[in-house]
Amino acid sequence: MKPYVKIALFVVLFIALITILAALILYNKKHTDMAKSKPDFVVPAAALQKEFEDNEATASAKYINKIIEVTGTIASVTLVDSNNLNISLKTGSDISSVICTLPAVTHSAMFRTGDEIILRGECSGYTQIFPGKPPLDVLLNNCAAIVNKK
Amino acid sequence: MKRLFFLILFLNLAFALNAQKYMTKNGYIGFFSHTPMEDIKGDNNQVAGVLDISTGEMVFQALIKSFHFDRALMEEHFNENYMESDKFPKTSFKGKITNLSSVNFSKNGTYDVTVEGDLTIHDVTNKISVNGTIEIVTGGINANSKFNIVPEDYKINIPGVVREKINKNLEVTVTMKYSPLATK
Repeated sequence: MKPYVKIALFVVLFIALITILAALILYNKKHTDMAKSKPDFVVPAAALQKEFEDNEATASAKYINKIIEVTGTIASVTLVDSNNLNISLKTGSDISSVICTLPAVTHSAMFRTGDEIILRGECSGYTQIFPGKPPLDVLLNNCAAIVNKK
Repeated sequence: MKRLFFLILFLNLAFALNAQKYMTKNGYIGFFSHTPMEDIKGDNNQVAGVLDISTGEMVFQALIKSFHFDRALMEEHFNENYMESDKFPKTSFKGKITNLSSVNFSKNGTYDVTVEGDLTIHDVTNKISVNGTIEIVTGGINANSKFNIVPEDYKINIPGVVREKINKNLEVTVTMKYSPLATK
């Protein structure tokens, strides 16, 4: 085999290997760990919900797909399935909430109604089942509970 | 005094009307696709739903971005390539139980129902008719259904390269646990 054929073969193999490796890494990419992510916004639950209620379009453009650290009081805790927990945070309205889904929660009992909590997650938008009327709920996904260091 | 009487009467009436409505914000909609090449599962536990037991009307609303996948890459493709969730953020259903009389809302038990209505996905609305169950439990109502949808019916384009990895029929599961709508 001529030396340049060898080199060409080696280069082709090398590129193929890198491609496969890159594809594998991409395919197995993990979800963003919210506990280790820097929040784009830090906001109280009531203020976040109010921004959406006041102007859905502006709030959507500002918050959707962004990482939000939200502070608030737990209104309810629902174990939605074996892997996910929904925590609703109180807002200025009696019937609207900020609903946060926490994946892979092993200790759901540590969250109790009435507790103050800090959660960090990605905003997916809002739901409003009666058009133009409350409740308007802001939804956060892939949330992590942030330990308050104070 | 008379005014007060009517006010109380009115409030009672308003309460009675409201008590016909059941709601959840923690409902579940999931879909599953099986092919020999790959199993794909998307779960959404943030579905808002209302059931009016006096008329049998059912309304659901869910965000596309609230569907969760085991693989981050799948979630990305689902949102960006197939559902275009920035353009079409929501999916919704508005329909009715067609055999409402066969459900005894005052007696605990499981009743078979048929629900007909408009399902909107990817900004395309189709009429669907699905079978499911209504389960009357103490303090609430559960609704369950399993049915199939075809992505192409909702103008969701799946490129040829990956078409073999996604089943032509997606199995959709709906699980709602309603409680009486708070009257405030």
